[in-house]
Amino acid sequence: MGMRGYILRRAVQVLLTLWVILTLLFFLFRLGLPDPTLALVSEGLSPEDRMLVAERFGLERPLWQQYFIYLRNVISGELGTSFHYKAPVAGILGEKFLNTMVLMLPAILVAYSIGQLLGVLLAWKRGTRLEFTGVSLGLIFRSAPMFWTGMLFIMLFGISLGWFPTSGMRTLPYEASGFLDKIFTLDFLRHLFLPVLVIALYYAGLPMLIMRNTMLEVMGEDFIEFCKARGLSMRRIMYRHAARNALLPIVTQAAITIGLAVGGQVVVEVVFSWPGLGLEMLQAVRTSDYPLAQASFMLMAAMILVLNFATDLIYGKLDPRVVYS
Amino acid sequence: MKYDAVRFLWKTIRQDRLAFFGVAVLFCLVAIALLAPLVATHDPNEMNHRVEGTVFWYRDGEWVIQESVGEWTLNAVTFCYDGDTAFAVGNHGEVLKYSAGSWEKEEVPTTVHLQDVAFGENLVVVVGESGTILEKRNGEWIIVNTPVENELFAVSIAPGTQKALVAGTEGTVLRRLNDTWELVDTGATEDLLAVSFPAEDTGFIVGRRNVIFHYDGETLSRQMVMGFRDLYDVHAPTTDMALAVGERGTILHYTGTAWSAMYGPEARDLRGVRLIEEDKAVAVGSHGVIIRMDQGQWMREDTGYRRHLRGIDAFGGMLIASGTDPYVNSLARPSVDHWFGTTHLGRDIYSQVVYGSRAALTVGFLAAIMVAVIGTNVGLFAGYFKGRVDGLLMRIVDIMYALPLEPFAMILVLLSRPGLTIIIFAVGLLTWRTTARIIRSQVLSLAARPFVKAARIAGASDLRILYVHIAPNILPLAFLQLAVSVAFAITAEATLSFLGLGPPRIYSWGTILHEARLSGAWRTAWWWIIPPGVLIMITVVSVFFISRALEVLTNPRLGKR
Repeated sequence: MGMRGYILRRAVQVLLTLWVILTLLFFLFRLGLPDPTLALVSEGLSPEDRMLVAERFGLERPLWQQYFIYLRNVISGELGTSFHYKAPVAGILGEKFLNTMVLMLPAILVAYSIGQLLGVLLAWKRGTRLEFTGVSLGLIFRSAPMFWTGMLFIMLFGISLGWFPTSGMRTLPYEASGFLDKIFTLDFLRHLFLPVLVIALYYAGLPMLIMRNTMLEVMGEDFIEFCKARGLSMRRIMYRHAARNALLPIVTQAAITIGLAVGGQVVVEVVFSWPGLGLEMLQAVRTSDYPLAQASFMLMAAMILVLNFATDLIYGKLDPRVVYS
Repeated sequence: MKYDAVRFLWKTIRQDRLAFFGVAVLFCLVAIALLAPLVATHDPNEMNHRVEGTVFWYRDGEWVIQESVGEWTLNAVTFCYDGDTAFAVGNHGEVLKYSAGSWEKEEVPTTVHLQDVAFGENLVVVVGESGTILEKRNGEWIIVNTPVENELFAVSIAPGTQKALVAGTEGTVLRRLNDTWELVDTGATEDLLAVSFPAEDTGFIVGRRNVIFHYDGETLSRQMVMGFRDLYDVHAPTTDMALAVGERGTILHYTGTAWSAMYGPEARDLRGVRLIEEDKAVAVGSHGVIIRMDQGQWMREDTGYRRHLRGIDAFGGMLIASGTDPYVNSLARPSVDHWFGTTHLGRDIYSQVVYGSRAALTVGFLAAIMVAVIGTNVGLFAGYFKGRVDGLLMRIVDIMYALPLEPFAMILVLLSRPGLTIIIFAVGLLTWRTTARIIRSQVLSLAARPFVKAARIAGASDLRILYVHIAPNILPLAFLQLAVSVAFAITAEATLSFLGLGPPRIYSWGTILHEARLSGAWRTAWWWIIPPGVLIMITVVSVFFISRALEVLTNPRLGKR
C-alpha cells in the first residue's frame, strides 16, 4: 500500500478513535456525575421551573436519545450551551484555547529548542564535568513540580521583589479591541513571563535527557565511525549526522507534549490564575457543566489525534527504515 | 542477563556517586515513611498552642483583659508609686513596665525565668532562677551577687524602706540590709514560694507542705499549722493580718495570733492573693479563677476567661492580675519547637511532611510498576507485530492520550471516594501510554534491522524474538521509562493532591501545598511551601539518579569511556 492509502486509512482511524472517545466521554460524564439539574437549579426552585430547565438542556429524555442528540450536535459543530455561562460553548472555548496557546506554545518552543541542543551537547561531552552538571540541573528542574516552582517564583519574583505580576493575564481593568491587541502589550508580556519560565524549565529536562540518551545509542552505530574516518569535525558529526538520527523520539515527545499542552497545565493555570482551557475544564468538571467539559475534552482529544497522525507521517521522512504498510 | 543485572546492580551503584546518593536518599525516605510516628515530633493534625503573657485589669468595677503584652508567661505583677505605674515579670528575662497607658519591655541583663517583683523606696527588686536578683536603682537594672544558686520564687520590700526579704527553693531565705544581701538560716528544706513584708519588724514566708515562717526583723520562726498542702502566695497589708492561699483552693487566715483555715469556694489551685482590708480580699488561680472576699465571705467571680492567672496586686480600688494565655500557634516561623514552622491552624509542618512521605512512596512505586509492566509490553507487541495488533493497541493508546490526567482523576474521584487507590489507578491506567509509545517507536526501528530477520530465519518464534532478541535492546529505554514513571507518579500524586483530589485526613506533600494554597497564607509563609516541594524534588531526583546507573548497566555500549 502506498503513501496515499496509508494517509487515508490513518485519517479514518483518527475519526473512529475520536468517535470512541466521544462515546466514552458521554457515558463517563452522564454516569459519573451527580444529577446535572442540581448544578443548574437553586434549591428553592419549583418543580415546573426545574422541568423547564431540564427540557431546555434535553436532560429529561432517555439516555440513548441524549446520546444521539449529542452526536448529531457534535457533527454539526453545535457544541451546546454552557450550563454555567448560559452561552455557546464554542465561543467560550475559543477564547480559553487561545489563552492557553499563548502560554503553552512559547513555553514548549523555548523548552524544546534549548533542551534538544543541550541534549546533543551532553551526549558529546559524556563523562565530563559539563555533562554531570547539565544532567543534574536538568533532573533537578524536572523533579520540582511545576505548581511548586510556580509558587516559589511568585513568592520570590512576584511578592518579595515585586518584579512581575502574580496572577491573571493582564492588569485589570483592561479593555482590548481584538486578540492581537490583547497579547502584544508590555503588561501582557510581564504577566506571561513567570508562567512561561516555570513551564519551560520543567519541560526542557525531558527533551534534553531523551536526546542525550538516543544520541548515545546512535553514537554506537557504525556510520559515526565512518564519519570520523572521513575526517569530519566532531561538531559536524554531532549536530549534522548523529542528531538527525536521534531526532525520532524527540519528535514523538514534542508532538505528545503539544497535544497535551492544549489542555494547558492545569496546575500552572491554577497557581497563576491563568484563564486558560485547563482551568476552565477543571471548573467545568467541578460544576457538572457537561457541555463545556465535554467540548474541552473533545478539543484536546482532536488535537492529540491530529498531532499523533502528523508524527507518524514525519517518521517516514526522518527514518527511511520505517516502511508504510 | 538477569543474574548479571543482579550481580552488577550493587557494583554499578557503588561506582556511580549520584546513584549511590539516590539509593541512600530512597532508603532514608522508606525508613522515614515506615517509622513516621517515631520520626515526627508532633501529631500532624494537632493544633499546637503557645503561651503568651496576659494582663487583667480591674478598674471602675469591671475586669478588662489586655492580651498579649509579652512573649512569655508573666509570673508576677506589682503596682508602684501610684496606680499609674506597674511592673510585670515573666519567663526568659521578661520585665515589663507599665506607664502612661502602655506596657514597655525593659532591658535587663539576664534571660533566666523571673518569678517575682517588688517595689520599695527608690528600689525595684526582681528575683528568679539560679539565685538571680535584679535591682533597679536610679533607672539602671543591675545584677546583684547572691550567695545562692537556688531558684528564687518571691520577694517583698517593707514599705518606705530598702529592706527586702527573698524566698526560694530548699528553704532559702535572703534579706537585704544596708544595700547587701545575706542568707538567713531557716533550718527548713521545703521550697519557699511566697513572702510578704508589711513592716521592718514583721514578715511572712510560706511554702510547700504548709510551711509558714514569721520574721521579726532578726530571725525566722516556724509556725505550727495543720495541713500539708502547698501554699503559693501570702499577703499581709499590716503586721497583724495576713492571708495565704495554695493548692486546691486552700485559704489560710492570720489574725495577729494564729493561722486558721478558711472555707473557700474554689477547688482549683490559687496562685495569688491580696488582702485589701480586714474583711476584703481577692485571690486568683489557674483556669481564670478569680474569687473575692467581702465581709468575710468568699464569692466566685466569673469573667468568662479561662487563662491561667499567676500574680495579682492591688492599689486603691484597682486590681491587676497577670498570667499566661495559651493560644493556637498559627503560622509560626521555624523554631526549635517546630522545625519547619506551623500552618494557619497551628499544625506542625515537619510532622506533616514526615507522614506525607508514606503517600508519596506508596503511590509512586505501585503506580510506576503498573505503568512499566503495561507500557513495555504494549510497546513491544505493537512495535513488533505491527498491522492489526499495532493498530488496536495504538488506538487504545490514542484514546488514553486524549484523556487529560487531572480531570480524568477527578471523574474517578466523583465516581467513588477520594483516596490513594483512585490516584494510583488514575496514574497507572493513564500514563503507560508514554512508555508504550516510546518503546514502540524504538521497536519499530529495531524490528526492521537485519538481526531480527536473521533470528526469524533461524526459526525463532515471535515471542522468543520479542523477549530474547528485541527486549534487551529496549531495556535501557524501559528502565529509563520506569524511573521516569516513578518520578512521574510521585509528581502526579502531588499534583492531584494539590488540586484537592487527594484523600482527606491523610497527609501527602501535595495535600500540604493544597492546604497552604487554600489558606491564602502561602504567599508569605515560605516555611510552609519549601519543605514539601524540596522533598518531592529530592525523591524524584534520587529515582532519576538510580535510573542513570541502571541505564549504563543494561547497555554496556553506554559505559564510560
